[in-house]
Order: sequence, then C-alpha cells, then structure tokens
Amino acid sequence: MKEFAVFWGCTIQTRFPFIEKSTRIVLEGFKLPYRDIDGFTCCPEKSLVNNIDHAMFTLTAARNVALVDEKGYDLVSPCTGCVSNLATVKGELKANPKEKGEVNSLLNQVGREFTGEAKLSHLVPFFHDMVGIHEIKKRMIKNFSGLKIALHYGCHMIRPSHALKNDDPLEPKKFDNIIKAMGAESVDHMTKLMCCGQGLDRVDMHDKALHFARIKLRELKQLGTDAMVLCCPSCFLQFDNNQFLMEKEGEKFGIPIIYFTELIGLSMGYSPEELGMNAHRVDCEPFIKKWESLCAKTDCAADIKAGLNSGGGILG
Amino acid sequence: MLEATLNFKLLEMCSKCGACFSICPSATHIPGYDPRAVIKDILAGTYEKWLSSAHIWQCLECHFCLEICYQHYGFENAMTALRTVAAKKGMHPPQVKRGWDMFIKTSRLGEPTLPARKKLGLPEPTASGADEFKKLHALLKDAREGHKTE
Ligand code: SF4
Ligand code: SF4
Repeated sequence: MKEFAVFWGCTIQTRFPFIEKSTRIVLEGFKLPYRDIDGFTCCPEKSLVNNIDHAMFTLTAARNVALVDEKGYDLVSPCTGCVSNLATVKGELKANPKEKGEVNSLLNQVGREFTGEAKLSHLVPFFHDMVGIHEIKKRMIKNFSGLKIALHYGCHMIRPSHALKNDDPLEPKKFDNIIKAMGAESVDHMTKLMCCGQGLDRVDMHDKALHFARIKLRELKQLGTDAMVLCCPSCFLQFDNNQFLMEKEGEKFGIPIIYFTELIGLSMGYSPEELGMNAHRVDCEPFIKKWESLCAKTDCAADIKAGLNSGGGILG
Repeated sequence: MLEATLNFKLLEMCSKCGACFSICPSATHIPGYDPRAVIKDILAGTYEKWLSSAHIWQCLECHFCLEICYQHYGFENAMTALRTVAAKKGMHPPQVKRGWDMFIKTSRLGEPTLPARKKLGLPEPTASGADEFKKLHALLKDAREGHKTE
C-alpha cells in the first residue's frame, strides 16, 4: 500500500483529540503506512471560507494538496468535510487548466506546486476499498452480532460525487458493508441520509440545529437502536454534544454516538478507556454493557475450545 | 481572478424545474426556506431582499440538490452566490465573521489542545503552515490589485 498522510483537520484536533487517539490506535493496529506531515492548515471549511472568498478557499485547499503531492503520498482523513473540500478544489483545478495555472503562479511564489496527483480518501471508503473487509474481519476478535446500529454516513463522505467518486451519492453501500461484516444489524431508517444539520450551529441558529438533531434521534429511539455510528467530527458534535444539551433540558434519547474508529478499536479488543470513549458527553456505557453481555453469551464455545486446545490426545 | 460565479442559463432551467425542492432538508424542515423563490428573484434582478434574510444561511451545503439535479447544478449555487454578495457587504452572521477572522489570522479554525493531547499520549502536533498561508494571502491581495490597475 502507498504511504499516506493523515489530514486531521481543525475540529478533531481542537475539540475531539480522543478521535485522533482512536484513529491512531486503529492505523497502528492494522500496520498501515500512515505519516504525519508538517504544514497543513484548515482544509478550509467550505461553508465558511468559500462564502467569503472563493479564491482563498481554492488556494488554501490547493496548498494542502500540494504538500502531499510533493511527498508522493496519498491523503486519508477521518473527517468527511476535509476530504470533501479538498477533493472539490482538486476536481475544479483538474478540470480547469487556466484556474490551475493561476493557482500555481501564486503557489510557486511560496515554493509549492499543485499537481493533484495525490489520491484523497475518507477513512471509511478507504477501509472498504484499500484495507478491505477481509482484513477487518481478520483483525476482529469480537463482533457486534445482536446489536442494532444506525449508520450516519454524513453528507460529505459521499457528496459531491463528481469530486469524491467513492460510492453512490444517494444510495451509499460501503459503510453498511463494513458494519454488516462486523456482525451488527445496520438499521434501516427514514432519516439515514438526512443531513445532520450542524451547519446551522455555525451561523448562529442553535435552535434549528437542535431541531435537526432531534428529528433523527427521535426516530432512532423509537426503533430501539443501540447506537449511532458515524465518522465525521461535525456530525459527532451535532449528535453527541447537542443530544447532551437536549437531555439536560429534559428530552431523553439515550443514543450513544460511536466513532467508526472506536467501533473498529473495540472489535480489536481495545477497551473503551484506551480509545478515549469516556470523553463522550452522551454515555456509551449502555451500548458497551449490552455488547459485553452478548459477547459473554456467544462465548459459550470458549470452554470446549479451550479443552480442544489444551494438549493431550494424539497430537499432544 | 478566481472569483465566484453564477450560471444564469442553468438558473433559467431551475425556474422551470424545482425537482430538488422535495429532497432538500432545509426546505423540508425549515418553514419559509424556499430556494425556488430565491432563484425567481435572482432572475428578475430583485434579489436585494434576500441578502438580509436568514434563509440564505440555512443552506446546509449537503449537496442533495446537486446530486438529484439533471444538470448536476443545484439550488445551492444560488444560495452560495447570495451569501457571497451578502458577505461582501458585511451582512454575514457574527459567528461567520469570527470564524473568518480566526481563519485569516491563524490559518486554522482552532489550535490542537495540548494538555488533552498529553493526557491521551498523542504526539506533538506537526509544524503549522500559518506563515506560508499568510504570505499566500498577501500574494493574492497583490494579484487582485494588479488586475484592477491593469
Ligand atoms: S445544498 Fe442547500 S439547497 Fe441544496 S439540498 Fe442541501 S440544504 Fe438544500
Ligand atoms: S438545481 Fe437542478 S433539480 Fe434543482 S431546480 Fe434547478 S434544475 Fe431542477
């Protein structure tokens, strides 16, 4: 596999360093050739920067990609927004040589060159396509059979499709494939692809952001979902933090929000504490408890296995 | 150079279509959010009133409209264009202003939290690209000035 730089992004490093922790644990555990490189800035956040200055949006993203291009690496990120923004600019520049020329004439003056050679991937499709389901199963020592998991893809994992080209933008499958391979039931639900709505919190409309979170959490509660699994810090903020805020005001949902890397880490045998899951605002304990009790049940074969492996017999 | 654009030919088609309205989460869940009305006003040249409207900031950039659109265009382009015009006039929400200021000053929307990193046993953050970013910003300003005086 080609070496790749991890693009952590501002939100994970500023607000959720424990997501960086579980991601590193998983990358290490799978012995993947990941690198930390100097010089990254904000991707930048499209809804903020592009609304104010399209040129600055384009230049900043092109510079980040150029850093990876130079090294001959690919790029992988556990943030959907970062990949989507970087890929959007990469696509725009590749399709538009004049604009690419303008961008490079400025980048050259700080010693950089955008070529757009680097492949840019979000962690979930990367695990699906590059690591492979077979490999995930091989590293898994405990599965999630018996648990109902609601997947939240997050808009920017799959859209805009012309830039990301990694799954069906309106009927994605890859995240589902992984979760099912891990033994869980991927719960069908109406709001599965609904935008999390966190963007509303970034434009001073907190009540509306809460309303978006509420719609989805209500449905998941009704369906008896054990957890929501996602892989975007913005969606995580929306469903963990905002759920917590609503619960404080008396609305009870009780839906643990699990990051993709945490779920993989758990399946590999890491403890919730090692993965930093005690930093969540919504308690993950109900999910972990139920999972442990299910694991204990399915482990009824452990006894006989131990007997079979314990020596004696003709193979001694 | 590199300025935002709006494709009026495609918007003309929108005014006869409206298909993405039914898939737009903001149109579904926020009363009064209706990009069809916005597009009509853009085409009629009477978009002024939208610049001060909260609705233009309620587009979530989820790209549903883009994906369902037979032109692969999407309502969002109209909303982005109006937000850009509004921001140029200083009419963007305070939080957006604060975010932009932080971005332009530091090249990021927040810095790695060092005590928490230490506690988690995470490595030192890698070197920042802020200086180079600031140079680039200055170069862009110069290039724009150059364009104006040419
Ligand atoms: S990008 Fe904006 S206009 Fe398009 S569907 Fe999403 S919220 Fe609606
Ligand atoms: S953006 Fe596309 S789908 Fe939406 S109204 Fe315009 S033409 Fe129709």
